[in-house]
Order: sequence, then C-alpha cells, then structure tokens
Amino acid sequence: MRKLLLAIAVVASAGMTEIAQAETKVGAIFDLTGGLNIYGIQQNEALNLAIEDINGHGGLLGQPVKVVSYDAQSELPKYTQYANTAILRDKIDVLFAGLTSSSREALRPVVRKAKLPYFYSSLYEGGACDKETFVTGPSASQQLSVLIDWAVKKYGKKIYIMAPDYNFGSISAHWVHEYAKKLGAEVVGEDFLALSITDYAPTIQKIQSTKPDFVVALPVGANQTGFLEQFAAAGLKKSIGVVSTNYGSGNQQVVVSPAAGEGLIADQGYFMAVDNPANAAFIKLWTAKYGSDTPIVSEAVDTWNAVHLWAEAVKKAGTAESAAVIKALEGGLTFEAPNGTVKLEAGSHHLRQNIYIAEGDAKHSFKIVETFKDVAPSYENEKCDLVAHPDTAEQFTP
Amino acid sequence: MGLDYLATVLLSALSSASILLIATIGLAVVFGLMGVINLAHGEFLMIGAYAALTATQHGVPFVLSIPIAVIVTVVIGAIVEMLIINRLYGRLFDTMLATWGLSMVFYQLAVLMFGTVTPGIGMPAYSLHIGRYSLAAYPLLMIFVAAAMMAFVYMLMIRTPYGRKARAAIQVPDMAQAIGIDSRKTNTMTFSIGCGLAGFAGAVLLPIVPATPAMGFAFVIKAFLAVVVAGPVALTGAAIAALGAGGGASVVASFFTSVVGDVFFFSITAALLWLYPQGISAQWRRKM
Repeated sequence: MRKLLLAIAVVASAGMTEIAQAETKVGAIFDLTGGLNIYGIQQNEALNLAIEDINGHGGLLGQPVKVVSYDAQSELPKYTQYANTAILRDKIDVLFAGLTSSSREALRPVVRKAKLPYFYSSLYEGGACDKETFVTGPSASQQLSVLIDWAVKKYGKKIYIMAPDYNFGSISAHWVHEYAKKLGAEVVGEDFLALSITDYAPTIQKIQSTKPDFVVALPVGANQTGFLEQFAAAGLKKSIGVVSTNYGSGNQQVVVSPAAGEGLIADQGYFMAVDNPANAAFIKLWTAKYGSDTPIVSEAVDTWNAVHLWAEAVKKAGTAESAAVIKALEGGLTFEAPNGTVKLEAGSHHLRQNIYIAEGDAKHSFKIVETFKDVAPSYENEKCDLVAHPDTAEQFTP
Repeated sequence: MGLDYLATVLLSALSSASILLIATIGLAVVFGLMGVINLAHGEFLMIGAYAALTATQHGVPFVLSIPIAVIVTVVIGAIVEMLIINRLYGRLFDTMLATWGLSMVFYQLAVLMFGTVTPGIGMPAYSLHIGRYSLAAYPLLMIFVAAAMMAFVYMLMIRTPYGRKARAAIQVPDMAQAIGIDSRKTNTMTFSIGCGLAGFAGAVLLPIVPATPAMGFAFVIKAFLAVVVAGPVALTGAAIAALGAGGGASVVASFFTSVVGDVFFFSITAALLWLYPQGISAQWRRKM
C-alpha cells in the first residue's frame, strides 16, 4: 500500500513538474466591471483572442499558452493585489494589465521586483520608462505632434484646451502649448475639468469669449462626453473645430448623437476604418467571436499587439524566461498589426506606429482623413534609453 | 467683459442650479419625508434614463418616453420599498447599507443589459443668442422644468389627502395608524414617488447627460449635499441650496475654472453645515 502511494506521488509530482516547465502562463488584469470596463472588457477580449490565435498556430515552445485572468473592478488596490497573486501563486511568465496611468504606476514596482515583463496597452500621457515595462499605446506627444500641426493648418492658429484635471490632461495640455509655440500658434485659453462635471455651460462661454479657431477636447469618461453634446447644441460647431486624442477610444462616437459627432476630429493609433489586410483579418476574427455590436476600441488593438510582440519575443528567445524575453523584445521587433506595421523601440520600450487622423460621420463611426506613417515616440526615445541605462525606473514629465 | 457675458453667465448659472435641483427633488422627498437615505437614488436616475432611451429607440417620441420612465421607476421603487426598505425603517445605517448594495446591483444589471456604451439621443439643436454669445436652449428649458417639478411636489404634499397622510405617517406614525392611516401603504407610495421623480430626472436630463451605467455617480454626491444642507424643510431647503451652491459654483466656474467652481461648491456646503448643523431650514416654520 505504501509503495503504491509512493508510486502515485512520484508519478503525480513528475507530471506536475513537467507541466510547470513546459506551459507558458499569461497573466491578465483588466477592469471587467466598474466604470472603466468600457475599455477593460475589450482589452481582455483582445488578449483572449490573441492567445487563441497563437494556440491555434501551435502555441509557444510547442505547448498551448494558458491565461490567468483577474478582474480589477476599476479599483486601484486590486491591481497590486492580483499582480502579486498572479506572480507568486500562479507563477505567470508575463503580465498584461491596466488602463489608467495610476494602475500602470502601481504595477511598475511590482513587476520590477519580480523582474517580469509587463505590457501596458493604452494611449496615455507618455514618459513611462522601466526595464520590465513595455507600452503599446501611443503617447500624448506622439499623437499631439501630428494632430496640432494638422489642425493649425486646417482651422487656424488660435487654440482652446479642454482637458480632464489630472496628469493625462495637464501633460497633454503641456504638449499642446509646446507644439503651438513651435508652429507660431497661440493657446488662447484652457479649462481643466473634474471627471464628475456634467454642466459645461461655463466652459462653453469661455470658449466663445476667447474665440479660438479650434478646441483640443480631451474628454475622459461618460460625463465629459456630454461636453461635445453641449458644444454642438450651443451651435459652435459651425465656426470652431474640435480635435481630440482620446475621442473614440472608449467608443464615445457611439454615445454622442450624430449631430454632435459629425465632423469631430480624432487622432489615434487605430480606428476600425483602417484599411489593410491585417486589420481585415483581425476584424473578421473579432466579429466571429464577439459579434459586431460594439466597435473595436484602440486599446483592444494595443493589447492584441502587445500579446503578439511578446509571443514573437518568446519564439525568438526560445524560452519564456524573463531576462531572455526582455532581451529579445529589445532586439528591434516588428509586427504586422491591424494598425499597420509597428516597431518596438529598443531603448524606450514604446512603439513606433502609424497615427491616424479620422473624422466622425453621422453614422456613429469614423472615416480616415490622413495617415501619418511610423510616428516615433520621440519624447520617450529622447529621455529614455533602457539599453544604455537599464536601471532607470521613472515616469518622465515635460 | 460685456453685459452680454454677464447675462449668459447668470442664465447658465440658473440652468445649472435647475439641473441639480431636478436631480435632487426625488432624494429630498424620500429623505425629507421618510428619513431614509436612499443611496441608490443615482441608479434610479440611471434606470429612468435607460427607460426613456429604450422607449425612444422603439420609436416613441422623446416627450412621451418621459412618462414611461416615470412609470418604470415608480414600479421598481414600490417593489424595492416592499421587499427591502419597509423592513428597515428607523435603522438609518442599515438602510444606507441596503440601498448602497442595491445601487451596485442596479449598476451591474445595467452593464449586463445595455453594455457599456449605448447611443445617446442628442440635444435639440436650438440655441439662444445673447449679444456675441449663444447658449444651448435645452439646458435653459430645465429652469422651467425644475419650477414645474417643485410646484407639482409642493401641491401633492400640501394640498392632497395623500400628502397629509404621508406627512402624518412619518411624523407621528402611531397616531397616524390610530386614526386609520395605513402607514405601510403610504410609505410605499412616498418611496416610489421619490423614485419616480428620480426616473423623471434621468429621462428629462437624457439629452444633457447620456445614459451610462455609471451616470448616477455624477449627480448623487452633489444631490446628497444639497439635501443635507437643506435640512428638515426638504423641498424649499433643497431649492435654495441648489440655487446657492450649484448656481454659485457655475458663476465661479465662468470667471475662474471649473475646478474652482467645484471647490466653491464643496466649501460653501461645508461652511453651511458648520453654521447650521441641522441644515439651513432647521428654524423655518414651513411644511415642505
């Protein structure tokens, strides 16, 4: 009897160690419930789709990849809690997580300590620089450099800024000031707004009294989307342009009425309207699994790209072990993404990618107006070189 | 700074205050008349908004979708009162906990039923021109809506037999029962009227604030502060609190920034509560 038990134990433990060695585990922490799930659900769906795609093509290192998913519930403390659980208990090989900058800043020290590659897949204010952290969304300077130039040419030189009252808003506003100065344009006014505000009459009056040629509007969350509605209803759209780096990133074009959404300018790293074979294949795969009721947001594509870049690195390194994967990720990886070819910059861990300028139409969607190819994350490249200085761990701000 | 700017600032301050008041009245009725703090008030607003939105998506004109929203929220309010609230009268913290839990359930149900994004209905594209400025007409219309709502609730509570019963059932429940008032029924009625008013608010504000599962949060904090500042004479008190704090914040925001406007709102409520711990209406001799 004892021998039998021993034999079972030996077989079981042998089996377990074999699994632990061969299987690659991906950790995912996104906001599946709570106020941020506009983004989090799609980030998670994109991750699962990418893993299915990889597993459908034979998995990694000869084994299917396993996903461990957590719901951060739009609450910051949950991120660090689940990240620790995923690292210590589930023994994940890579982490994909977070939407807000605060969630990324909370996770950076955790993954640094664990020396675990971490992918942050959302547009953001820029400047994050850390050996383990990789960013697949565009930074504010990446988006605004092309947008302000385009808008000054199209509308004129007087700019008004409407931005949320936290670091995404204030750093974005800083870039608008900087690019305006470079272009000889002028910021005639700015208003920073709390996320809870629902009444935009004061802002709209100030916009009218300063008479800008266009407004850089960066509404975050459902309440701030109301600004666009109220701006349109006041009859200002005829004379003043509206441009944004984040309009559409949470499918705001679906929420606003056609009257308010038509003619709004958004610039991002991805729109569903992007026309290339990779995007067509991606949309086909997506709609087959999730349907076509809700348009795909850019953060979903950022997550899809993140997973595939990581998989490429694992294949290249021949192992999922952290140091080797990070080294492979710094080896100038490129990926044929739905938003065009993206290239992971070795030094800054940010993506060189296309930036699209799109115009809202009357049918709750966008048409691409202009494509800027291979826009570099120039501020991040300038400040952050993790190949030369691997110990850097901070978020640079202009 | 011209006279036209001043006029637009005052008008939009009045409309800001009215929007706040519209969102607050239902809460004022439930808290003022029943002493129940309904932490799910914001979610009833959200339910009203989704009810109206769903109705318009099925071809009902917006104006007619508002009564539909009221009916839906009244019914849900009555069910909630009978299942949960009436077991907890006099237990202030327990009702807060229960309604808070309820708010989470409603929120997640909305996510499951409607998803995270739903198309808005947009604002009627009428605007009012004053000098060099133009104002969206729909928010200005809210001034009249708020006044009409106030008048309706006032008449209902002061002039109708139901109103007298409702006040009696809460003020002296034993005596009210002794003279034959069914206080349970009256309370169910009052709570569901409060919820109906929230539903009305959600529907009528739909063009200004798009329906999202989380929309309740936007209103609920300021609405609560207005009701707490108002004190025992809930209706008149809430109107004055909304006008003073909400309207004042809007004026301040027009001259400085929206953040300063918010700072003004919270400082003035804090100062008022420090001066009048029982609410500004503690010494008033009015009924509503």
